[in-house]
Amino acid sequence: MKKMPKRYVGKNIFKVDAQDKVTGKAQYSDDIYFDDMLYLKIKRATYPHAYLRRIDISKAQKIPGVVKIITAADIPEVKNFGLIIKDQPVLIGIGRKMRYMGDALAIVIAESKEIASKAVKLIEVEVEKLEVISDPLRAMEKDAPLIHQDSNILATHYLEKGDVKKGFTQADVIVENEYKTSFLDQVPLQIEAGIGVFDPETEIIKLWAATQWLHDTQADVAQSLGLPKEKIRIIQPVIGGAFGKKEDISVHIHLALAAIATKRPVKFSYTREESMIAQSKRHPFIIQMKTGVTKKGYLTACQVEVIGDTGAYASSGLAVVHKGMYHCTGPYNVDNVKGVAHTVYTNNTYCGAMRGFGATQMAFAYESQMDILSHKLEIDPVQFRLQNAYNHGSSTPNGQILTHSVGVKETIKEAADMTGWKEGR
Amino acid sequence: MKKQGRGMATIMFGFGYGEGFPDHSIASVEIEDSGKILIRTAAADVGQGVLTVITQIAAEVLKVKPEIIRIIPGDTHLTKSSGSTSATRQTFFTGNAVKEASEGLLSNIYHYASIEFRSNHVELEIKDGYIFRNDNPNYRLSYWELADKVKERGDSLKAEASFFPHTDKPDPKTGQGEKLYVAYTFVTQIVDVEVDTDTGVVEILNVYTAADIGKAINPKNVEGQIEGGTVQGIGMALMEEQVIKEGITLNPNLTGYLIPTSMDTPRFVTRLVENEDSEGPFGAKGIGEPATIATTPAIANAIYDAIGVRIYHLPITPEKILKALKEKRKNK
Repeated sequence: MKKMPKRYVGKNIFKVDAQDKVTGKAQYSDDIYFDDMLYLKIKRATYPHAYLRRIDISKAQKIPGVVKIITAADIPEVKNFGLIIKDQPVLIGIGRKMRYMGDALAIVIAESKEIASKAVKLIEVEVEKLEVISDPLRAMEKDAPLIHQDSNILATHYLEKGDVKKGFTQADVIVENEYKTSFLDQVPLQIEAGIGVFDPETEIIKLWAATQWLHDTQADVAQSLGLPKEKIRIIQPVIGGAFGKKEDISVHIHLALAAIATKRPVKFSYTREESMIAQSKRHPFIIQMKTGVTKKGYLTACQVEVIGDTGAYASSGLAVVHKGMYHCTGPYNVDNVKGVAHTVYTNNTYCGAMRGFGATQMAFAYESQMDILSHKLEIDPVQFRLQNAYNHGSSTPNGQILTHSVGVKETIKEAADMTGWKEGR
Repeated sequence: MKKQGRGMATIMFGFGYGEGFPDHSIASVEIEDSGKILIRTAAADVGQGVLTVITQIAAEVLKVKPEIIRIIPGDTHLTKSSGSTSATRQTFFTGNAVKEASEGLLSNIYHYASIEFRSNHVELEIKDGYIFRNDNPNYRLSYWELADKVKERGDSLKAEASFFPHTDKPDPKTGQGEKLYVAYTFVTQIVDVEVDTDTGVVEILNVYTAADIGKAINPKNVEGQIEGGTVQGIGMALMEEQVIKEGITLNPNLTGYLIPTSMDTPRFVTRLVENEDSEGPFGAKGIGEPATIATTPAIANAIYDAIGVRIYHLPITPEKILKALKEKRKNK
């Protein structure tokens, strides 16, 4: 089918925001400034898993320039937040648990960043330490202390297509390996930052803070503060990268609380260290993968077990881990598939979205398996992939029949063609 | 000794939230007084280029130069939800919403112009923001002049549209479902590496990428996504790891947590596979996430090709390579 020629679609026009960015005209959160602005810092957890027994802000409060210190006792009505499950506390109260080093214990608002930082250091905290669970395998053991109220296994998802047992009996070669990935930071250039302003006339809280999901962040802030959604107005500044890290709430609720409490504009910018410790990570996966193939090189079965460490809070973890499992075969026809995926709480920094959302970790496993199998079978890796790759009408591990835009074979052929790939290299 | 190797990986990525989750994007397009056409969307541009993509789509449909398009900055009180910039969904979702809203606006331009010109639609033609009758091109109305006339009639020239495709919830016991994701993007990468067997250091030489993205709305943007994603994948494969021991991060800074720099960036060769067969705008699919997925396994496979050892635990650091090489020699 011949398509109509287009004037702008398919053309390399300049990015519409490029000029503002390269000339410095673009306003990022941290560039926004008000004359009577205050600065916010957070006193964070002092131990990864502990009950907060006492918090003493008296010394911190005495520092000149400290305007207000908010602890959980000041905001009893504020509710937990979270992308899928509302399991993240805004501030940890006395007798409540801190579950990772990023948990917030107090909001310090001061006339300058330096004063706020100094005051944070003078907040005294007493905790009752609990066993720190850093290993998801330990978290899954029956005698492991619970990090939240229910099981440390936040969710278990299943995948089953065809008959995996039969699939392995049809296989001439079976390869089974364990793959592990690490905690990754998304490392956007821009660190979490924002400004909060309370308008006493309209009682609207204005937030200038980047988010990947404007109206969802608004909803989460509003429900946490017990306010109607329209009382939270989020204005998107220019965003300096996200890669999944700006899906979760970061500065937003703390800024809103500070703006309400002080009636002055408040700015909060994380440090890189704070960003790495307190804000979401890519899930480390433990993937046990078993793949069966005939001696002619046709895949017959794939079995996978995934354990995803989601850290202290759910964030988008339960979606990430099973989405990874749902991609376990890669773009190849496999009639018999079986999988189980556990999303597990630990006392590590919580994990959420990062580019690829579980499918990135899974590809390391399935494409390593493909390479190992092609060597074992002595089949050229290009040929091996081509003969197993999806066509129109192929079925994914979820049994979804692909009816549109299945160009996987073309990508294999084009990539091979670019390198002048010859069989056997 | 320096040893070269080549590895490949082919990946798929089902994009959009999928799985029956309500996933939609709302956009509106209106003729503005200022001589511009205004798009309202909450789609966050995190650098990936969605604002450029929707500018091109609106310009294409409305037959105006891209400079005429203005996009309101995301604001909960001035825009409706466009969903998140995640799940590789914005080109597909907001792209479709903007395309449909633009088509809605264009339809209204024809509708009201046909009243002004006392003609039917087939006699009308549009060029560069002007509408006129075929038989009298000198008598023409700009979109903005037409908008004024529409205003006199108590209406306005604008259109809102949304894109809200259906997906199925997977069966909880089996994960099976008819349509889990709106579409899949496919990518193949072939990577050439050089491994120094004395130091364990891996250098990425060439990365060849072929990506099935349906249709590139802006090919340079797509290439940019692929190159950025690949560099992120190089980080994941070779160096990035936030080390958390007993709940404590040991390297919470960019001294201890290494990411690739321009010095680690390879030569890129990229080809786009464009079958224009997807349900996205003009046949486009998303590339944001798939851009990074193939890189890590392709590198792992290239390292195996170069030195015959396979590392199963990321990142594949020089220490792990040297240890594996030592074990390999021992076992010989």
